[in-house]
Amino acid sequence: MKLTGNVLEIRDLVKDFPSVRAVNNVSFDIKRNTVHCLVGENGAGKSTLIKILTGAYARSSGKILLNGEEYSPHSPKNAKEKGISTLFQELNVVDQLTVAENLTLGMEDTTFGFLRKTDKINKMVSVMNSLEPSISPRQLVSTLSVAKKQIVEIAKAVATESDIIIMDEPTAAISESEIARLFKIVKGLREKNVTVIYISHRLDEIFELGDYVTVMRDGKHIDTKPVSEIQDRSELIRMMIGKTVFEVYTPKKDRSQETILQVRNLSNHKLNGISFEVKKGEIVGFYGLVGAGKTELARAIYGADDYEGEILFKGEKLHPSPHKVIEAGIALVPEERRSQGLFTILTIRGNVPVMNMGKISRNGFINSSQERKVTLEYIEKLRIATSSTEKEVIKLSGGNQQKVVFSKCLFADADLLMLDEPTRGIDVGAKSEIYGIIRRLSEEGKSILIFSSELPEIMNICDSIYLLYDGNLKAALQNGYDIDSEKIIHIVTGGE
Amino acid sequence: MSVETKQARKITVGGRMSNESFLTLFMIGVLVVLFGIACAIVPNFYLPQNMLNLITNNWYIIILGIGVTFLLITGNFDMSVGGVIALTGVLSVYFCQGANVSRNVLANGLGLPYGLALGLALLCAMGIGAINAFFIARLKVPSIIVTLGTMMLARGIAQVITRGAQRNTSLPDVFGVVGNIAIQGTSIKFSVVIMVLLVVAAFIFERMTVPGRRTYLIGANAEAARLSGITVGKHITFLYLTSALLAGITGILLASEFKAGVSSRAMGYEFDALVVALLGGVSIAGGFGSVLGMFVGAVILSVVTTSATGLLLSPDWQFTLKGIVTFIAILAQRFALDRRKG
Repeated sequence: MKLTGNVLEIRDLVKDFPSVRAVNNVSFDIKRNTVHCLVGENGAGKSTLIKILTGAYARSSGKILLNGEEYSPHSPKNAKEKGISTLFQELNVVDQLTVAENLTLGMEDTTFGFLRKTDKINKMVSVMNSLEPSISPRQLVSTLSVAKKQIVEIAKAVATESDIIIMDEPTAAISESEIARLFKIVKGLREKNVTVIYISHRLDEIFELGDYVTVMRDGKHIDTKPVSEIQDRSELIRMMIGKTVFEVYTPKKDRSQETILQVRNLSNHKLNGISFEVKKGEIVGFYGLVGAGKTELARAIYGADDYEGEILFKGEKLHPSPHKVIEAGIALVPEERRSQGLFTILTIRGNVPVMNMGKISRNGFINSSQERKVTLEYIEKLRIATSSTEKEVIKLSGGNQQKVVFSKCLFADADLLMLDEPTRGIDVGAKSEIYGIIRRLSEEGKSILIFSSELPEIMNICDSIYLLYDGNLKAALQNGYDIDSEKIIHIVTGGE
Repeated sequence: MSVETKQARKITVGGRMSNESFLTLFMIGVLVVLFGIACAIVPNFYLPQNMLNLITNNWYIIILGIGVTFLLITGNFDMSVGGVIALTGVLSVYFCQGANVSRNVLANGLGLPYGLALGLALLCAMGIGAINAFFIARLKVPSIIVTLGTMMLARGIAQVITRGAQRNTSLPDVFGVVGNIAIQGTSIKFSVVIMVLLVVAAFIFERMTVPGRRTYLIGANAEAARLSGITVGKHITFLYLTSALLAGITGILLASEFKAGVSSRAMGYEFDALVVALLGGVSIAGGFGSVLGMFVGAVILSVVTTSATGLLLSPDWQFTLKGIVTFIAILAQRFALDRRKG
């Protein structure tokens, strides 16, 4: 039997934190068996709302009705029992177990503590087969791609008869072809009596996938509409940030002919004979799917990984160690800002100067007034939203954290900046600010390499575009001249 | 000043106390309270001489605590310091003892000049530090395993050299000087002066120097530190060598004080050094802590154990007492830090 009506009704929901009202009188309904998208900038209150729904936070006031009944989970486990499962960015699967074991994890049938084989597992496996037949239940989860691990989790949620599956940016870490498969599965969930709450920063996905969209801004509910009633991206963006953002590439008029970086025949465990050159002031984009070797290329140039071949910077050979590479004048904004870029338990002041301590010290002694001045300078220059130089970085939002990573690299006084996924997980407003910073740097004569799996990003700001596939450099394009996004996708997915 | 115009935009510069300073102040508060209680209930606790003893009787733990604290801040343990004390003490004696002076094996040493003997002993101590650094920084073996290994290795060598006992004969008179001289007219020993100088130096290193800052960066995120151009392995090596050197100095001072190289010397000191660092708010997770906090932690421990002795509690209770104090301190710090966040 197919039910209709509202599966979830949120009424006057409020969540207060000591210093801020994160969710402010939010009310909206979610229709049964739809894909309901939730969008908003970082800090708009989406995450808090989701955490209330999954039982991680207790609400301050307001009402939530699930299937018409009062719903107030006291823990994530309790939320799951009541019918709301969540697909977090950090997947909840155990790599060392098989797919079948993962499916029944936490609900095994036992006799006196010993595992018992029952029908449960067959039911689980058949659900999974209906979603994605290529996954074998006996396979170890560690052998699956991120996308397939997500499918295992979705199967588990469907088999346990969840009414709602919340998906928090499921496409952030998977490739375009895997995204297509995921979308097919998500669309198919409507037939299985499952409602999906879908959160993503990629607005195109909302048009492709969503039935309804709810926009939040500053903790408030802005609007809930059928997606078919929304004209285009910019209408959605206007609702999200209350102002219009333009993303158009304008080719540079005069370009320098001075070569700053030469990479010759670079190879390692992942890369295959890569050669290219970068001019002064040029913005070069490396585009490819996850696993194409973008991060590996950045890390090799930076000296963080071993390689064969030759890299010349300003005519001199680079020594393969980050310490030497930074001294030579190259800085990297790494892929994972929290685990590779930031010292999150330290303050902004503790983070900003670390790549160039010599500039704020004399004979090894730190000049603390200069240190504060520099930190303040970057807080203002990059408009980092903070009340103090002494705020721990962990307390900043994702976009502001990324700006701290940028400050760190800019303070290194590098002539070449490498940016690995510079806007991942960042809201639209912060994104366009970061693009602005990149353009300004290029005008100042700095060369920039951008490694990204977002094509719009590459097409918006890069002068030259290099396409990577499976560790090989497949094509070199000049932006602004006969750029064909379909052809690009064709190449980076392995086409000739 | 330009800073003042910028404050108009309401970005404050500095001003807020760091969590480290906050915790240190908090632990000083705890110390004052404990001290007050002890003065009230323990006979003669308030006497100036006793107060002085609280610090001076602990000089060796505090010196060890400096190295252990910095390593903990980088997220690494050093459990070898007790063994290094025993080894350096025994070696300094062995190197100084006259050669072929007696039929007793334990009375015969190498007969080296005093200065050379000490220098060599310190070098051997740093050799243990170098082994630690090699396995931890180069081979990436967890520090707790490596330093437990060198702890036994160092003490083991000391036992072989002393045949499981001690060497205390045929030593030149000069050997007993550094460990026993005191500031004229007081009971403050040279060792205590060294401890105070080292604490001051460590404080300056921690707060004002680039390598001091590096210590925190490595502890906060070693991978980000590497990608920010910090040579992590080199710095860890430097800290292990320093920690071993500090333990070596302690070993020589203790050997001189007793004019003997004892293989069982400083048994369990590595745990005492760890406990005072934890009492002082140093985080085992890395990236957090201070030498001043460690110093306060050492005095707190001293107050508690001294009061216990003053109350005629049997010495058998010392360990239990240390355990309880550690737990209470950890709870108090957790409570204080949580309050501060809110």
